[in-house]
Amino acid sequence: MTSTDVLDVRAKAQRDKRRRRIASIVYIAIGITLFFVAWVLLSLEASPWHYDIPPPFGAVGPFQDILQGVWGLFREEGAIAHFWSNLGTSQDMRIKFVHACPDLHPANVNNPFRQVASSLMGWKYTSDTAALTGGPLPVPIGQLPDYCYGYGIHLVVTIIRILLGAAFGTIAGLAIGLSSLVFPKVAQVFTPIASFFGTAPIFIAAPFFVIWFGVEVPIMTTIGLVTFYTTLLMYFFSRRAAENIPVGIVESALTLGGTPRSIFRWVYLPGTVPEIAGGFRIALAGAWGLGVLVEVLGIQVGGGHLIDIWRFLIGQLQAPSALVALITFYGVLAVVVDALLLVIIRYLTRWSEAGRRLGL
Amino acid sequence: MSRVVSFEGLWCVFEHRSGQLVNALHDVNFEVQPGEFVCVVGRSGHGKTTLLRVLAGLQPPTAGQIRLGEEVVEGPGADRAMVFQQDTVFPWLHVRDNVEFGLRALKVDDEERKSTTAHWLDAVGLTDFADSWPRELSGGMRKRVALAAAMAVGSDVILMDEPFGSLDYFTRRNLHDVLLDLWEETQKTIFFVTHDIEEALILADRVILLAEGKLVDDIPVDLPRPRDEDVRASAGAVDITKTILAHLGITEEEATQV
Repeated sequence: MTSTDVLDVRAKAQRDKRRRRIASIVYIAIGITLFFVAWVLLSLEASPWHYDIPPPFGAVGPFQDILQGVWGLFREEGAIAHFWSNLGTSQDMRIKFVHACPDLHPANVNNPFRQVASSLMGWKYTSDTAALTGGPLPVPIGQLPDYCYGYGIHLVVTIIRILLGAAFGTIAGLAIGLSSLVFPKVAQVFTPIASFFGTAPIFIAAPFFVIWFGVEVPIMTTIGLVTFYTTLLMYFFSRRAAENIPVGIVESALTLGGTPRSIFRWVYLPGTVPEIAGGFRIALAGAWGLGVLVEVLGIQVGGGHLIDIWRFLIGQLQAPSALVALITFYGVLAVVVDALLLVIIRYLTRWSEAGRRLGL
Repeated sequence: MSRVVSFEGLWCVFEHRSGQLVNALHDVNFEVQPGEFVCVVGRSGHGKTTLLRVLAGLQPPTAGQIRLGEEVVEGPGADRAMVFQQDTVFPWLHVRDNVEFGLRALKVDDEERKSTTAHWLDAVGLTDFADSWPRELSGGMRKRVALAAAMAVGSDVILMDEPFGSLDYFTRRNLHDVLLDLWEETQKTIFFVTHDIEEALILADRVILLAEGKLVDDIPVDLPRPRDEDVRASAGAVDITKTILAHLGITEEEATQV
């Protein structure tokens, strides 16, 4: 093989790599297109689900004015247009939600950051505290700011709760799982507990969380349940990941002078990343469903609660658009977060062939 | 500081799943002087690897003990680094970090760690691959990484459990040369387990023969180095081969068929 041949081989490898990247982008585009095509087909008049499923887009405008026609997709009464126009504030929601979110804004009405923070702590708690301590009373509903009636604030609250729950659960699960490798007593205590709760489907446990902790303290319900679920999964995944590290590698580390601490830092931590990352993807995918489910069951703020309200108002004109739009939002969000996770996982596991292939 | 390695009345008994007791090592006694290259030869399942694992401190003996100088072996340590038969290079660390692993564990300061790593990477011919991932290397190169890591921690004794068994003939021969060069440079004591008599003849000062866990012979290999084809075909080498085959219960005809 001459040096020219070597260059050819390298150039071919580069071309293949570029082609694979382009192919993955094309596949994603095809997937998204197929999704919307299926949606449009289901919403056609000929479809049996015509009255249940609104079209994703409004009608395409006159053909002679393409720009105006394309813009029409997003401003007519399709589900996406509905979602977009109600994201910041919505007069329709102001009318319909007036009974739905009475606690949306208790004392700290003018500070959206404090509002998000207190939504994580639980509205009931802040209201009660304010009443008991003689602090500012809850603001009357008529004085609530406009953003309280938009989809945006609800969705942001839900996303924060789910991501926080998943983060807490991951930290707890990994801490317990990996420390159980160094301290066998931890495994002796936690494995039976995790096995017991792990066998009960988490979606069955969800209503009990709502009953035990009430609907007004979201940190114990949405965040609590997602944390609980993620902790269990990450505990099992971290244990399994560590058990899958070949014994020979650990023994080799020992004969090279490895201490429990250095073996944990240089062998177990990096060696378990691929399986733990895979477990986290599974946990987060479940957490989206679980978090929204708990909100549907009765939390007073959050995207799941919006779904519940629109379900209650199903006979009304915009309800199908709202429901489909919200469900689609969560679906798209989960896919986007998963894609970001894949990029991170690909970087963290770049040392392994399997990790390299995980990439987009 | 090199020390004498003494095996004193070493027994290792395992309980088979059927409840039957198996003597993996049966009252093994011998002594190895500092800087010796010892090959442990025997059939599969006759205690070679067990002997090495007990010496590494990975397997406690049922009875007896191993001493390094005056110190009794009670667990694994960097004074007895081991190169395994299977691939034990850390796949998540770059080649350089693999060689540095033991030095980090021993808390060697940065400057010394870097210079030691650079020296051993150069010694095994992997300087240009220091920043590669192990998956980007061939099997032979990964073995060289393992060898460099074992040498880098400054062990008195290097243990090698059929390290080149899975490699092709040419790579194996190349690694024999690398290993002998390192041994001559460092004068470390090397225990090398193999079932390949030719490999033992190329490498060893001494062959310890194990059969059913017992030390059946301790054969000095007084052949001149380097041991090329002519030396291995000499009368002395043939005699040693015949002795080993006789102890293993293999006739010359069987050996040539194998």
